[in-house]
Amino acid sequence: MIEPRVIDPLDTLLTEYFAPGEAPADLARRALEPGRRTDDGLARLEAAIGIEASPRGISLIRAARVAPPPSAAARRLVEQARKEIGEYLRGERVFFSVPVDLSRTPDFQRRVLEAASHIPFGEARPYGWVAERIGHARAVRAVGTALGRNPVPLIVPCHRVWRSDGGLGGYLFGEEYKRELIALERRTPVLEGSATTHIVCRVGCVAGSRVQAQHRVVFASVDDARSVGYRPCRVCQPAA
Amino acid sequence: MDTDRALMEGVTNGDEAAFTEVVHRYGGRLLAVAGRLLGSRADAEDATQRALLQCFSEARSYQPQWAVSTWLYRILTNICVDELRRRSARTAHAVATSRTDGAPAEAGRYMDLHRALERVPREARVLLALRYVDGLSYGELARIRGISVNTVKSQLARGKALLRSQLGATGGRR
Repeated sequence: MIEPRVIDPLDTLLTEYFAPGEAPADLARRALEPGRRTDDGLARLEAAIGIEASPRGISLIRAARVAPPPSAAARRLVEQARKEIGEYLRGERVFFSVPVDLSRTPDFQRRVLEAASHIPFGEARPYGWVAERIGHARAVRAVGTALGRNPVPLIVPCHRVWRSDGGLGGYLFGEEYKRELIALERRTPVLEGSATTHIVCRVGCVAGSRVQAQHRVVFASVDDARSVGYRPCRVCQPAA
Repeated sequence: MDTDRALMEGVTNGDEAAFTEVVHRYGGRLLAVAGRLLGSRADAEDATQRALLQCFSEARSYQPQWAVSTWLYRILTNICVDELRRRSARTAHAVATSRTDGAPAEAGRYMDLHRALERVPREARVLLALRYVDGLSYGELARIRGISVNTVKSQLARGKALLRSQLGATGGRR
Protein backbone atom coordinates (compact mmCIF):
# COMPACT_ATOMS: atom_id res chain seq x y z
CA MET A 1 0.00 0.00 0.00
CA ILE A 2 1.29 3.44 -0.86
CA GLU A 3 1.40 5.86 2.03
CA PRO A 4 -0.38 9.13 1.23
CA ARG A 5 2.26 11.89 0.99
CA VAL A 6 1.84 14.54 3.63
CA ILE A 7 2.18 17.99 2.10
CA ASP A 8 3.90 20.43 4.40
CA PRO A 9 2.27 23.86 3.94
CA LEU A 10 5.64 25.52 4.70
CA ASP A 11 7.21 23.60 1.79
CA THR A 12 4.44 24.82 -0.51
CA LEU A 13 4.85 28.39 0.69
CA LEU A 14 8.63 28.30 0.25
CA THR A 15 8.36 26.75 -3.22
CA GLU A 16 5.99 29.54 -4.30
CA TYR A 17 8.14 32.25 -2.72
CA PHE A 18 11.37 31.04 -4.31
CA ALA A 19 9.87 30.24 -7.73
CA PRO A 20 12.33 31.47 -10.37
CA GLY A 21 11.23 33.85 -13.10
CA GLU A 22 12.58 34.47 -16.57
CA ALA A 23 16.06 35.90 -16.99
CA PRO A 24 16.35 39.01 -19.16
CA ALA A 25 17.09 38.02 -22.77
CA ASP A 26 20.34 40.03 -22.84
CA LEU A 27 21.75 38.69 -19.55
CA ALA A 28 24.60 36.81 -21.27
CA ARG A 29 25.67 39.86 -23.26
CA ARG A 30 25.55 42.12 -20.20
CA ALA A 31 27.52 39.61 -18.12
CA LEU A 32 30.37 39.58 -20.64
CA GLU A 33 30.54 43.37 -21.00
CA PRO A 34 33.00 44.14 -18.16
CA GLY A 35 35.29 41.36 -19.42
CA ARG A 36 35.68 43.11 -22.79
CA ARG A 37 37.30 46.17 -21.27
CA THR A 38 40.98 45.75 -21.94
CA ASP A 39 42.15 48.77 -19.94
CA ASP A 40 43.61 47.15 -16.84
CA GLY A 41 44.62 50.16 -14.79
CA LEU A 42 45.63 48.24 -11.68
CA ALA A 43 48.10 46.09 -13.62
CA ARG A 44 49.62 49.34 -14.92
CA LEU A 45 49.82 50.69 -11.37
CA GLU A 46 51.54 47.50 -10.20
CA ALA A 47 54.12 47.80 -12.97
CA ALA A 48 54.79 51.48 -12.22
CA ILE A 49 55.33 51.13 -8.47
CA GLY A 50 58.71 51.66 -6.82
CA ILE A 51 59.29 50.47 -3.24
CA GLU A 52 61.87 51.64 -0.70
CA ALA A 53 62.64 49.84 2.54
CA SER A 54 64.85 50.08 5.58
CA PRO A 55 65.86 46.88 7.38
CA ARG A 56 62.86 47.51 9.69
CA GLY A 57 60.11 47.84 7.09
CA ILE A 58 58.71 49.46 3.96
CA SER A 59 59.34 53.21 4.07
CA LEU A 60 58.16 54.53 0.69
CA ILE A 61 55.84 53.46 -2.13
CA ARG A 62 55.56 55.72 -5.17
CA ALA A 63 54.65 55.41 -8.85
CA ALA A 64 58.25 56.24 -9.70
CA ARG A 65 61.80 54.91 -9.57
CA VAL A 66 63.08 54.93 -5.99
CA ALA A 67 66.36 54.30 -4.17
CA PRO A 68 67.63 50.69 -4.22
CA PRO A 69 67.43 48.73 -0.94
CA PRO A 70 70.39 49.53 1.36
CA SER A 71 70.83 45.97 2.65
CA ALA A 72 69.88 42.35 2.04
CA ALA A 73 67.23 42.54 4.77
CA ALA A 74 65.68 45.60 3.11
CA ARG A 75 65.76 43.89 -0.28
CA ARG A 76 63.86 40.89 1.11
CA LEU A 77 61.20 43.26 2.50
CA VAL A 78 60.89 45.01 -0.88
CA GLU A 79 60.41 41.62 -2.57
CA GLN A 80 57.80 40.62 -0.01
CA ALA A 81 55.95 43.94 -0.42
CA ARG A 82 56.02 43.64 -4.22
CA LYS A 83 54.54 40.14 -4.00
CA GLU A 84 51.84 41.17 -1.53
CA ILE A 85 50.90 44.32 -3.46
CA GLY A 86 50.64 42.29 -6.69
CA GLU A 87 48.35 39.77 -5.00
CA TYR A 88 46.28 42.58 -3.49
CA LEU A 89 45.85 44.32 -6.87
CA ARG A 90 44.77 41.02 -8.47
CA GLY A 91 42.13 40.41 -5.77
CA GLU A 92 44.06 37.55 -4.15
CA ARG A 93 44.89 39.24 -0.85
CA VAL A 94 42.92 41.32 1.67
CA PHE A 95 45.66 42.13 4.21
CA PHE A 96 49.39 42.94 4.31
CA SER A 97 51.87 41.21 6.56
CA VAL A 98 55.01 43.10 5.44
CA PRO A 99 56.04 45.62 8.15
CA VAL A 100 56.17 49.37 7.49
CA ASP A 101 58.84 51.72 8.82
CA LEU A 102 57.26 55.08 9.75
CA SER A 103 60.14 56.16 12.02
CA ARG A 104 60.89 59.17 9.77
CA THR A 105 57.23 60.21 9.55
CA PRO A 106 56.18 63.21 11.74
CA ASP A 107 54.15 62.29 14.82
CA PHE A 108 50.80 63.78 13.70
CA GLN A 109 50.99 62.10 10.31
CA ARG A 110 51.98 58.77 11.88
CA ARG A 111 48.88 58.88 14.10
CA VAL A 112 46.70 59.67 11.07
CA LEU A 113 48.19 56.72 9.17
CA GLU A 114 47.72 54.38 12.14
CA ALA A 115 44.06 55.38 12.37
CA ALA A 116 43.55 54.85 8.62
CA SER A 117 45.14 51.42 8.84
CA HIS A 118 42.25 50.33 11.09
CA ILE A 119 39.65 50.78 8.34
CA PRO A 120 38.67 47.25 7.29
CA PHE A 121 39.14 45.99 3.75
CA GLY A 122 36.30 47.00 1.46
CA GLU A 123 35.01 49.75 3.76
CA ALA A 124 35.30 53.54 3.67
CA ARG A 125 35.39 56.26 6.34
CA PRO A 126 35.16 60.04 6.06
CA TYR A 127 38.17 62.26 6.79
CA GLY A 128 36.33 63.45 9.91
CA TRP A 129 36.29 59.90 11.30
CA VAL A 130 40.09 59.77 11.15
CA ALA A 131 40.32 63.24 12.72
CA GLU A 132 38.07 62.18 15.60
CA ARG A 133 39.93 58.94 16.11
CA ILE A 134 43.23 60.73 16.69
CA GLY A 135 41.58 63.22 19.05
CA HIS A 136 41.67 66.24 16.70
CA ALA A 137 38.06 66.34 15.51
CA ARG A 138 38.48 69.71 13.81
CA ALA A 139 41.73 68.94 12.01
CA VAL A 140 39.95 67.46 8.98
CA ARG A 141 42.00 69.43 6.48
CA ALA A 142 45.30 68.49 8.16
CA VAL A 143 44.19 64.85 8.10
CA GLY A 144 43.58 65.18 4.35
CA THR A 145 47.07 66.62 3.86
CA ALA A 146 48.68 63.89 5.98
CA LEU A 147 46.90 61.16 4.00
CA GLY A 148 47.76 62.86 0.70
CA ARG A 149 51.43 62.45 1.64
CA ASN A 150 51.05 58.86 2.85
CA PRO A 151 54.53 57.36 2.36
CA VAL A 152 53.16 53.80 2.11
CA PRO A 153 49.86 53.92 0.13
CA LEU A 154 48.05 50.62 -0.48
CA ILE A 155 49.64 49.07 2.65
CA VAL A 156 48.22 51.92 4.76
CA PRO A 157 44.85 52.17 3.00
CA CYS A 158 44.39 55.92 2.63
CA HIS A 159 42.19 55.12 -0.41
CA ARG A 160 39.51 54.01 2.09
CA VAL A 161 39.12 57.57 3.37
CA TRP A 162 36.51 59.61 1.50
CA ARG A 163 34.80 62.94 1.92
CA SER A 164 31.73 62.89 4.16
CA ASP A 165 29.52 63.93 1.22
CA GLY A 166 30.54 60.74 -0.61
CA GLY A 167 33.09 62.54 -2.84
CA LEU A 168 36.39 60.77 -3.49
CA GLY A 169 38.62 63.48 -2.08
CA GLY A 170 41.85 63.06 -4.02
CA TYR A 171 44.49 60.33 -4.07
CA LEU A 172 48.22 60.44 -4.51
CA PHE A 173 48.12 57.96 -7.42
CA GLY A 174 45.17 59.87 -8.94
CA GLU A 175 41.43 59.73 -8.30
CA GLU A 176 40.84 57.12 -11.00
CA TYR A 177 42.98 54.62 -9.10
CA LYS A 178 41.12 55.41 -5.88
CA ARG A 179 37.89 54.50 -7.66
CA GLU A 180 39.44 51.33 -9.07
CA LEU A 181 40.76 50.23 -5.68
CA ILE A 182 37.31 50.66 -4.12
CA ALA A 183 35.82 48.62 -6.99
CA LEU A 184 38.53 45.97 -6.53
CA GLU A 185 37.78 45.68 -2.82
CA ARG A 186 34.07 45.46 -3.62
CA ARG A 187 34.53 42.33 -5.69
CA THR A 188 37.19 40.62 -3.56
CA PRO A 189 35.90 38.25 -0.87
CA VAL A 190 37.50 38.44 2.58
CA LEU A 191 36.94 35.02 4.16
CA GLU A 192 37.51 31.83 2.24
CA GLY A 193 37.21 28.25 3.42
CA SER A 194 38.51 25.03 1.95
CA ALA A 195 35.84 22.42 1.26
CA THR A 196 38.47 19.69 1.75
CA THR A 197 40.10 20.78 5.04
CA HIS A 198 37.13 22.72 6.49
CA ILE A 199 39.48 25.52 7.56
CA VAL A 200 38.55 29.16 6.98
CA CYS A 201 41.26 31.76 6.17
CA ARG A 202 41.56 35.42 5.32
CA VAL A 203 42.07 35.70 1.56
CA GLY A 204 45.82 35.93 0.97
CA CYS A 205 46.82 33.58 3.81
CA VAL A 206 49.74 31.32 2.90
CA ALA A 207 47.73 28.25 3.95
CA GLY A 208 44.60 29.35 2.09
CA SER A 209 46.42 30.14 -1.16
CA ARG A 210 47.22 26.43 -1.59
CA VAL A 211 43.50 25.64 -1.85
CA GLN A 212 42.43 24.87 -5.41
CA ALA A 213 39.82 27.17 -6.94
CA GLN A 214 37.12 24.51 -7.07
CA HIS A 215 37.37 23.90 -3.31
CA ARG A 216 36.97 27.55 -2.25
CA VAL A 217 33.85 28.51 -0.31
CA VAL A 218 33.27 32.11 0.78
CA PHE A 219 31.85 32.94 4.21
CA ALA A 220 30.36 36.15 5.56
CA SER A 221 31.84 35.70 9.05
CA VAL A 222 33.94 33.29 11.07
CA ASP A 223 30.83 32.48 13.13
CA ASP A 224 28.95 31.54 9.95
CA ALA A 225 31.82 29.24 8.98
CA ARG A 226 31.86 27.67 12.45
CA SER A 227 28.10 27.09 12.26
CA VAL A 228 28.61 24.70 9.34
CA GLY A 229 31.63 22.86 10.73
CA TYR A 230 34.64 24.99 9.67
CA ARG A 231 37.39 26.15 12.03
CA PRO A 232 39.48 29.34 11.75
CA CYS A 233 43.04 29.02 10.38
CA ARG A 234 45.79 29.16 13.02
CA VAL A 235 48.18 30.95 10.65
CA CYS A 236 46.10 33.99 9.58
CA GLN A 237 43.70 33.90 12.56
CA PRO A 238 40.64 35.35 10.81
CA ALA A 239 38.70 35.58 14.07
CA ALA A 240 41.25 37.96 15.62
CA MET B 1 24.55 12.71 -23.68
CA ASP B 2 25.10 15.29 -21.04
CA THR B 3 24.56 18.48 -23.00
CA ASP B 4 25.37 20.71 -20.01
CA ARG B 5 28.89 19.32 -19.91
CA ALA B 6 29.23 19.57 -23.67
CA LEU B 7 28.20 23.21 -23.42
CA MET B 8 30.82 23.81 -20.75
CA GLU B 9 33.46 22.42 -23.10
CA GLY B 10 32.38 25.11 -25.54
CA VAL B 11 32.51 27.80 -22.85
CA THR B 12 36.04 26.69 -21.91
CA ASN B 13 37.04 27.26 -25.53
CA GLY B 14 35.58 30.77 -25.44
CA ASP B 15 32.42 29.89 -27.42
CA GLU B 16 29.98 32.72 -26.65
CA ALA B 17 27.00 30.89 -28.18
CA ALA B 18 27.57 28.02 -25.73
CA PHE B 19 27.81 30.56 -22.92
CA THR B 20 24.54 32.20 -24.00
CA GLU B 21 22.87 28.78 -23.88
CA VAL B 22 24.21 28.14 -20.33
CA VAL B 23 22.81 31.56 -19.32
CA HIS B 24 19.49 30.71 -20.99
CA ARG B 25 19.28 27.47 -18.97
CA TYR B 26 20.36 28.77 -15.59
CA GLY B 27 19.99 32.57 -15.65
CA GLY B 28 16.45 32.62 -14.23
CA ARG B 29 17.32 30.31 -11.33
CA LEU B 30 20.57 32.12 -10.54
CA LEU B 31 18.70 35.43 -10.49
CA ALA B 32 16.02 33.97 -8.21
CA VAL B 33 18.59 32.70 -5.68
CA ALA B 34 20.46 36.03 -5.73
CA GLY B 35 17.21 38.01 -5.60
CA ARG B 36 15.89 36.21 -2.55
CA LEU B 37 19.24 36.42 -0.76
CA LEU B 38 20.03 40.04 -1.55
CA GLY B 39 16.53 41.53 -1.62
CA SER B 40 16.83 43.97 -4.49
CA ARG B 41 16.58 43.23 -8.20
CA ALA B 42 19.52 45.51 -9.03
CA ASP B 43 21.87 43.79 -6.54
CA ALA B 44 20.68 40.37 -7.71
CA GLU B 45 21.41 41.24 -11.35
CA ASP B 46 24.83 42.60 -10.42
CA ALA B 47 25.71 39.43 -8.45
CA THR B 48 24.39 37.16 -11.21
CA GLN B 49 26.30 39.03 -13.91
CA ARG B 50 29.51 38.80 -11.88
CA ALA B 51 28.94 35.08 -11.34
CA LEU B 52 28.33 34.51 -15.05
CA LEU B 53 31.38 36.51 -16.07
CA GLN B 54 33.44 34.39 -13.65
CA CYS B 55 31.88 31.26 -15.15
CA PHE B 56 33.03 32.41 -18.58
CA SER B 57 36.50 33.63 -17.65
CA GLU B 58 37.33 30.79 -15.27
CA ALA B 59 35.65 27.99 -17.21
CA ARG B 60 38.89 26.03 -16.98
CA SER B 61 38.38 25.55 -13.24
CA TYR B 62 35.12 23.67 -13.95
CA GLN B 63 35.49 20.00 -12.98
CA PRO B 64 33.50 17.72 -15.30
CA GLN B 65 32.71 15.34 -12.41
CA TRP B 66 30.51 18.14 -11.01
CA ALA B 67 27.09 19.04 -12.37
CA VAL B 68 27.28 22.42 -14.12
CA SER B 69 24.57 23.68 -11.77
CA THR B 70 26.71 22.78 -8.71
CA TRP B 71 29.59 24.81 -10.06
CA LEU B 72 27.43 27.78 -11.05
CA TYR B 73 25.66 27.87 -7.69
CA ARG B 74 29.00 27.66 -5.86
CA ILE B 75 30.25 30.72 -7.74
CA LEU B 76 26.98 32.61 -7.25
CA THR B 77 26.57 31.85 -3.54
CA ASN B 78 30.22 32.81 -2.91
CA ILE B 79 29.47 36.23 -4.42
CA CYS B 80 26.12 36.64 -2.59
CA VAL B 81 27.55 35.60 0.79
CA ASP B 82 30.37 38.13 0.43
CA GLU B 83 27.82 40.81 -0.45
CA LEU B 84 25.90 39.91 2.73
CA ARG B 85 29.13 40.25 4.73
CA ARG B 86 29.67 43.70 3.29
CA ARG B 87 26.14 44.71 4.18
CA SER B 88 26.42 43.57 7.78
CA ALA B 89 29.69 45.52 8.09
CA ARG B 90 27.96 48.56 6.61
CA THR B 91 25.05 48.24 9.01
CA ALA B 92 27.44 47.84 11.93
CA HIS B 93 29.27 51.01 11.05
CA ALA B 94 26.25 52.87 9.62
CA VAL B 95 28.20 54.97 7.14
CA ALA B 96 25.70 57.44 5.75
CA THR B 97 24.14 55.56 2.89
CA SER B 98 20.63 56.16 1.72
CA ARG B 99 20.02 52.72 0.24
CA THR B 100 16.72 51.14 1.08
CA ASP B 101 17.36 47.54 1.96
CA GLY B 102 14.50 45.34 2.89
CA ALA B 103 11.55 43.77 1.21
CA PRO B 104 11.44 43.99 -2.55
CA ALA B 105 8.20 45.35 -3.95
CA GLU B 106 7.01 42.00 -5.26
CA ALA B 107 7.39 40.46 -1.81
CA GLY B 108 4.20 42.20 -0.71
CA ARG B 109 2.21 39.02 -0.70
CA TYR B 110 4.95 37.21 1.19
CA MET B 111 5.85 39.97 3.62
CA ASP B 112 5.66 37.76 6.72
CA LEU B 113 7.78 35.06 5.13
CA HIS B 114 10.27 37.62 3.88
CA ARG B 115 10.67 39.08 7.38
CA ALA B 116 10.87 35.62 8.94
CA LEU B 117 13.63 34.61 6.48
CA GLU B 118 15.66 37.65 7.50
CA ARG B 119 15.88 36.13 10.97
CA VAL B 120 17.21 32.82 9.72
CA PRO B 121 21.03 32.60 10.02
CA ARG B 122 22.81 33.31 6.73
CA GLU B 123 24.12 29.82 5.98
CA ALA B 124 20.70 28.24 6.52
CA ARG B 125 19.09 30.96 4.39
CA VAL B 126 21.47 30.21 1.51
CA LEU B 127 20.59 26.51 1.73
CA LEU B 128 16.85 27.24 1.85
CA ALA B 129 17.11 29.43 -1.27
CA LEU B 130 19.02 26.77 -3.22
CA ARG B 131 16.71 24.03 -2.02
CA TYR B 132 13.49 25.80 -2.96
CA VAL B 133 14.52 27.63 -6.11
CA ASP B 134 15.88 24.55 -7.81
CA GLY B 135 14.85 21.58 -5.63
CA LEU B 136 18.49 20.56 -5.24
CA SER B 137 19.34 17.36 -3.37
CA TYR B 138 21.09 17.36 0.02
CA GLY B 139 24.20 15.97 -1.69
CA GLU B 140 24.31 18.80 -4.22
CA LEU B 141 23.69 21.42 -1.52
CA ALA B 142 26.57 19.90 0.45
CA ARG B 143 28.92 20.13 -2.56
CA ILE B 144 27.87 23.71 -3.34
CA ARG B 145 28.65 25.01 0.15
CA GLY B 146 31.51 22.58 0.91
CA ILE B 147 29.80 21.06 3.95
CA SER B 148 28.60 17.62 5.01
CA VAL B 149 25.19 16.22 4.11
CA ASN B 150 24.37 16.00 7.82
CA THR B 151 25.15 19.70 8.24
CA VAL B 152 22.88 20.49 5.27
CA LYS B 153 20.04 18.54 6.89
CA SER B 154 20.48 20.10 10.31
CA GLN B 155 20.78 23.64 8.87
CA LEU B 156 17.64 23.22 6.76
CA ALA B 157 15.71 21.74 9.68
CA ARG B 158 16.85 24.57 11.94
CA GLY B 159 15.96 27.18 9.34
CA LYS B 160 12.51 25.75 8.81
CA ALA B 161 11.88 25.44 12.55
CA LEU B 162 12.78 29.13 12.91
CA LEU B 163 10.43 30.02 10.04
CA ARG B 164 7.60 28.02 11.61
CA SER B 165 7.98 29.74 14.94
CA GLN B 166 8.28 33.17 13.30
CA LEU B 167 5.27 32.67 11.05
CA GLY B 168 3.31 31.24 13.96
CA ALA B 169 4.22 34.30 16.04
CA THR B 170 2.99 36.71 13.37
CA GLY B 171 -0.27 34.83 13.28
CA GLY B 172 -0.62 34.29 9.56
CA ARG B 173 0.93 32.35 6.72
CA ARG B 174 1.18 35.22 4.30
